[in-house]
Amino acid sequence: MRALSSLFRTSTSCSARRRTTKQPFAAFSLAPFSTHNYDDTQNSKVKIFDRQLKRTQRDRAAWLMPSKDPLLDNVADNLLDRLQDCKKNFPTALCLGGSLQAIRRSLSSGRGAIEKLIMMDASYEMLQVCKNAADVSNNDNIESVYVVGDEEFLPIKESSVDLVISCLGLHWTNDLPGAMIQSRLALKPDGLFLAAILGGETLKELRIACTMAQMERDGGISPRISPLAQVRDAGNLLTRAAFTLPSVDVDEYVVKYESALELIEHLRAMGETNALFQMNTVLKRDTAVATAAIYDSMFAAEDGTVPATFQVIYMTGWREHPSQQKAKRRGSATISFKDIQKQFGS
Amino acid sequence: MVRVSREVMQKAATQLGSLTKTLSEALVCPLSKHPLRYCEQSNSLISDAIGVSFPIKNGIPCLVPRDGKILEEEVASSKPNNDPNLSAVNEENQGRGS
Repeated sequence: MRALSSLFRTSTSCSARRRTTKQPFAAFSLAPFSTHNYDDTQNSKVKIFDRQLKRTQRDRAAWLMPSKDPLLDNVADNLLDRLQDCKKNFPTALCLGGSLQAIRRSLSSGRGAIEKLIMMDASYEMLQVCKNAADVSNNDNIESVYVVGDEEFLPIKESSVDLVISCLGLHWTNDLPGAMIQSRLALKPDGLFLAAILGGETLKELRIACTMAQMERDGGISPRISPLAQVRDAGNLLTRAAFTLPSVDVDEYVVKYESALELIEHLRAMGETNALFQMNTVLKRDTAVATAAIYDSMFAAEDGTVPATFQVIYMTGWREHPSQQKAKRRGSATISFKDIQKQFGS
Repeated sequence: MVRVSREVMQKAATQLGSLTKTLSEALVCPLSKHPLRYCEQSNSLISDAIGVSFPIKNGIPCLVPRDGKILEEEVASSKPNNDPNLSAVNEENQGRGS
């Protein structure tokens, strides 16, 4: 029956859309405009993450989410502290997916003088939770509106917001430069882009434990933890997306858990579980338990807790504006460096 | 009392499905970046540029490309034969993903 239906799908696909024959997955890519297809226009792009799976995981995270998450709150606070360093006010802000609730909690202290806040997430459930929470504790005068959207296909008009915040969401995009360029376009001139993503050092303990357990039990390894950006990539990304005055800084948080299993629970509640396309969907109980045991034995502290590292990369960039300082054109100097040296002595 | 009346107003607003001014000003079609049109009849946002409608659930517009539905008139006018197949397959694919 399944074979039949897939045959049917193939035939409709051929008649419905012009398609090159060399695509092996053509039969599965029928939903036009989906983020998950191997479509003609998308074929050149690399697909690392399953965005649809991530969406479902975030739906689950919306139900599992605790009302307060110290790690996310810390990251959100740290990210939004940057607003206080700016003299500018940001009347309209756009908050992209990731830890929305933490951002919302952190913003209610009135930072950045935000009047209108557009909250965007790929998960409808997540937004509904945020909306309900905001309805209950309506203690600030930020007008919040909600929209389900994908960072890779930003549904925001060009030059319409003053501030784009993305807190721990962008590391799940397949096309990170594209998402950042779209964010830049959504910004008004002299608008600010603030993002926090997880860096390559994140969960290094779990990476090691997973690899060892899989080598031992399964005789091979499969990717369990997603590839993440390195610090040097973050700077390149900002420049590539043509943000001006880019700055990048890194913070490392070590969270202590009772056991390795609690770490996994926390990752689930944050919606940060594996969403790789090439994911091996089979995880034997044996391997999972071995991973936890290796994690405990290799990394446990003296007090019995197990640490997990989270490396957060903070990125700041501005949309170009004539008022911003910039380097002068090459060769435009009128004074020789030799004269300067003479002036100030050696 | 004031608060209650505000809540009632908000509820009425969501029931009508009308979008707030902020949203309708800022939103565009995620694929073509052209403006969207609000359709009261189907309570959805329609991108005329590519002929796709995006649903509004409980006052929250869903603008993920995957949630979009190709408008039947559009498909019917361009490819009359494949209209039912396409939409059916579209639904099927959505089911598979979740």
